[in-house]
Amino acid sequence: MKNLSDEFVWKALKEGDLKAFSILYKTYHPRLYNYGLKISGNIPITEDTLQDFFLYVYEHRENLSDLDSIAPYLFSSYRRHLLRTLKKRSKIISFDEMNVKIIDIQFTPEEIMTHQESETFKDKNISILLNKLPNRQKEAIYLKYYSGLNTNDIANIMEVNYQSAANTIHKAIKNLRQEVSILQLLNS
Amino acid sequence: MAKKNYNTTEDFLLDESFNNWSKENRLTDVDFWDEWIAYNPNKKEVMNEAKDIILGLQFKNSEPCEEKTNADWVVLESIIKAKKIENQKKQAPNYFRFIGIAASILLLVSLGIYTLTGNPIKVVYKTAFGEVLNLKLKDGSSVTLNSNSSIYYYENDNRKVWLTGEAFFEVDKKETTNAKFWVITDDLNIEVYGTSFNVDTKYEKTAVFLEEGRIWLALKNGTTKKMIPGNYLSYSAKENRVLDEKNNLKSHLKTSWKDGSIIFEKLFLKDAIKKIEETYGVKSVFKDEESKYKIITGAVPITNLDICLKAIEKSVSVRIEKINNQLIIKNRTEN
Repeated sequence: MKNLSDEFVWKALKEGDLKAFSILYKTYHPRLYNYGLKISGNIPITEDTLQDFFLYVYEHRENLSDLDSIAPYLFSSYRRHLLRTLKKRSKIISFDEMNVKIIDIQFTPEEIMTHQESETFKDKNISILLNKLPNRQKEAIYLKYYSGLNTNDIANIMEVNYQSAANTIHKAIKNLRQEVSILQLLNS
Repeated sequence: MAKKNYNTTEDFLLDESFNNWSKENRLTDVDFWDEWIAYNPNKKEVMNEAKDIILGLQFKNSEPCEEKTNADWVVLESIIKAKKIENQKKQAPNYFRFIGIAASILLLVSLGIYTLTGNPIKVVYKTAFGEVLNLKLKDGSSVTLNSNSSIYYYENDNRKVWLTGEAFFEVDKKETTNAKFWVITDDLNIEVYGTSFNVDTKYEKTAVFLEEGRIWLALKNGTTKKMIPGNYLSYSAKENRVLDEKNNLKSHLKTSWKDGSIIFEKLFLKDAIKKIEETYGVKSVFKDEESKYKIITGAVPITNLDICLKAIEKSVSVRIEKINNQLIIKNRTEN
């Protein structure tokens, strides 16, 4: 399903219109910034790689026109870009496993809304439980519930197949539920 | 609905009625599944797991603020423009080199010294409560800034301004260059070609009224709206929705403040007093319920609180006492 507001931006973008690109930038910069910061835990790196990345997007803007929707492309592309930079800095040899090690998202209590739709996640210590999850599961949770991306997009971004992404999300929720009931048992 | 077997979380997730039960969207589905659980208690755990996957977790937005994004954009924009000029040299760009350049440019911009394009010094105008300011921008456009508002722009691009509060714009159409004028608020961007319009950003929303000309709004949720004279639109990025939309709104209701007065047209006194609070930066308290709902119609001055209050007192038979920064409103028949 084509995202109609993206279409407006592409048309103008193709004409090299900087104003149109600025709308795209201002729409996606905050979300990508937050994602980058979660991955790298480092402000200067996030800022530098993000500026670099947007420059790249602008200079290769023809790539944008074939997309159904821009968000997942930007997320996955930026993620790859960021990982390349982080690996270079820590001199890690590029095994696929290493990506998992590098991306260790940490959630803080302040980020979790007090009002939760699910009874299970109402505990104020839920962020601690979240951080106990394996790295993959944490990233999946972040992409799905924080960034609002669908499972298909998440699969693309995390470079796995659809089933694997779905399983990761399900396992994450299952684990969280178990942790919550353990916590409740201990507190009762 | 219940023809097939439900065993795994996937089975439940794929079912639309189950989704409705989880979100409590449709009563019939809620009733159905509530009963289903009763008959299939062994499936309860899987069902609740699927429900939690559907409901998920709600996070607060901790993304960087608009100012930061805009500042970063200004830097990137100058890099892009510089590269366009430099591209005659046909160099294969090394993207990682820009990490060093971008970092030092960021530093220079924040010191307000210089970048590749010139001097992006930030020019800021602010009004206090009860103050209305008339400005003329370098390109000839005029801005009237209402009380407790602020506007800023970067010297190298004076056809793009950021607004908090309320302002009325009269933008010159640039016949020769067709250069657009932009107004940016927390909720939306306004793209303007020679026109006059009012922008109000109080209460975490932006309301735009177009008096003359044509403008395009780019809302923060990505949608765009075209406006013609008489149109009024109010949008909140925080709530991600259009709050109010009118055509053929009478100009003077939204723009009378420019001439130094606020016009009330059949407003409840409580709503009129709210406007006074906003304009003069005072708080108010009503001593009785009846006074709140008195209807007031008329014009009051925007730059003189005492006269403003006297006018209201006379108009709707109330007594207004001002102690420090607080207004106390009583019905006049009592005492």
